[in-house]
Amino acid sequence: MFKYTVKRLLQSLVTVLIIVTIVFVCLRMLPTDSYFTEEQVMKLTEEQKKEQLQAAGLLDPIPTQLFRFYGRLLHLDFGDSRRIQTGVPVMKVIASKFTVSMRLGLIALAISLVIGVLMGVIQAQFKDKIPDHIGTVYTVFVNSVPSLVSYSLVLTFGARVLGLPSLYSTRNPGPSSILPIVCLSLASIAHYALWTRRYMVDESTKDYIKLARVKGMSSGDIMRKHVLKNAFVPLAQYIPASLLLTVGGSLLVERFFSVPGMGPLMTDAIARYDTDVVQACVLIYAALGIIGVFLGDVLMTILDPRIKLTGGSSR
Amino acid sequence: MKNQDELFRIVEYSADAAERIGYSNYSYWRSVWQNFLKKKSAVFMGIVFIGLVVFSFIALGIGKYQYSELVSNNDLMFTSPNSEYWFGTDNLGRDYWCQVWYAAQTSIKLALVVAIGECIIGVAVGCLWGYVRVLDPILTEVYNLINNVPTVIYMTLIALVVGQGFTIMAVSMIAIGWLTMARNVRNLVLMYRDREYNLASRCLGTPVWRVLVKNIFPYLISVVILRLALSIPGTIALESTLSYLGLGLDINTPSLGLLLRNSRDYFLKYPYLLVFPAVIVSLITVTFYLVGNAFSDAADPRNHV
Repeated sequence: MFKYTVKRLLQSLVTVLIIVTIVFVCLRMLPTDSYFTEEQVMKLTEEQKKEQLQAAGLLDPIPTQLFRFYGRLLHLDFGDSRRIQTGVPVMKVIASKFTVSMRLGLIALAISLVIGVLMGVIQAQFKDKIPDHIGTVYTVFVNSVPSLVSYSLVLTFGARVLGLPSLYSTRNPGPSSILPIVCLSLASIAHYALWTRRYMVDESTKDYIKLARVKGMSSGDIMRKHVLKNAFVPLAQYIPASLLLTVGGSLLVERFFSVPGMGPLMTDAIARYDTDVVQACVLIYAALGIIGVFLGDVLMTILDPRIKLTGGSSR
Repeated sequence: MKNQDELFRIVEYSADAAERIGYSNYSYWRSVWQNFLKKKSAVFMGIVFIGLVVFSFIALGIGKYQYSELVSNNDLMFTSPNSEYWFGTDNLGRDYWCQVWYAAQTSIKLALVVAIGECIIGVAVGCLWGYVRVLDPILTEVYNLINNVPTVIYMTLIALVVGQGFTIMAVSMIAIGWLTMARNVRNLVLMYRDREYNLASRCLGTPVWRVLVKNIFPYLISVVILRLALSIPGTIALESTLSYLGLGLDINTPSLGLLLRNSRDYFLKYPYLLVFPAVIVSLITVTFYLVGNAFSDAADPRNHV
């Protein structure tokens, strides 16, 4: 197990490095004018621009820049923000944002796990009856209608009928985060409900369930003690990843409700050509995604001891 | 004795009948069609969708304003729907009817182009990926690299470097979207490539393309159709998100995301600005979702006869 973990972590490290390198090279292919604000582009002469770029080391050949970048990574130095908050270390910029995203994301995840799994259980128990059909309508709607449209509907309903604030505000974080949280949960509730139902329905036709029924176990007990436990294992695989990625926030929700979180940071950084911020973001997203998948695998082996990650070697 | 002669008689030998297997007049596509017609809700939605597409052309024709001739007029802004402006006017006093239908057409067009492009590239690459062993590690690595970087990064880079527009949007969406299709196809090809009937086929010297097209492809049809149908709502959603963020189509091509972006600040006060585009787009996407699911069930040969 230990050997496997080390091997897998090393592999992930290589993948993350390649991803960061690709993004680094992509960013260097943008025209250099985008390093400056529009005002600067108009005012500065070509020489002044060149001087500034030279000072920042941005005119060196790409390999030189790349190695300097790797060197700084070893010291965990992600550089300074150029445009988003000029001169502030990237880590500080990100630290101020990710707590906001994480708070919303964690609440939304907790809500959608509880409601989603519950909905799936009810659907599976009343398969092909009215509760099942209602749940299916919900999942089809959420999965097929563009999220922008469903967010707009939530916003209109919440703001007009319930009188909730339509924009996030830091002075009033309680009520103003209700609508963003609802929007964040919409899709994941549907996801958990859909898969809980699917796995439970698959599980409930197996032989050992038939045996339990023959023994005279009540169907509620069968559902709780056998079906749900086994059906939850494949779902649990994705929970660590979703947990970690709450740090990243959601681009659309945060832009839609003007939440000052991580979601819009990366696109803003790309648009304003704040390369150090972009690289730090990419690094964080890629690393979190890969660690999340790994933790998911580990969690699955804990929940279901029959699953072995190491294949035949552990025998 | 006499009775038996009446009941049985000897059939003449026919080479044709000896070769016959299974259901004599079985036709794959006819069975698909018959199974599909059994799902009343999907058929109904399909008809609604076709009606909607046809009507979007009629709607632009019978509307009182042409999209290209719209002018902003501050006196008319936020006119509620009436007999002159059937869907009212937007924040600049422009007719909303023609904007909404034009946007619906743009979305459908983009979604269809992207879905077909993804399908062609995805199936072709997926078949090779699964069938040719040498390509497997290379393509898997490519998949991991592209798939691990968030789509938004690529789209932002493309929007900034290449520019914005319908063709660029379609090409870049295909360039990223084929991965999922290729991955699905590859997994299926891996499952079927070494089945005994394919082994036999290879021993008999069947060329690779024939094994792929005749022996393996029929198994892929239901999955391909499902992905195709699901990618259409997906594309419409991605387009609306990107346009909303200002990374999608250019401002002169009205699309759903753009309409919603323009009306974001106003639709709380004037809900009709949200309701009309939302209802039309939801109809399109839900339809594709249901019709695609029904059709892919019908296309699965295991559900036939």
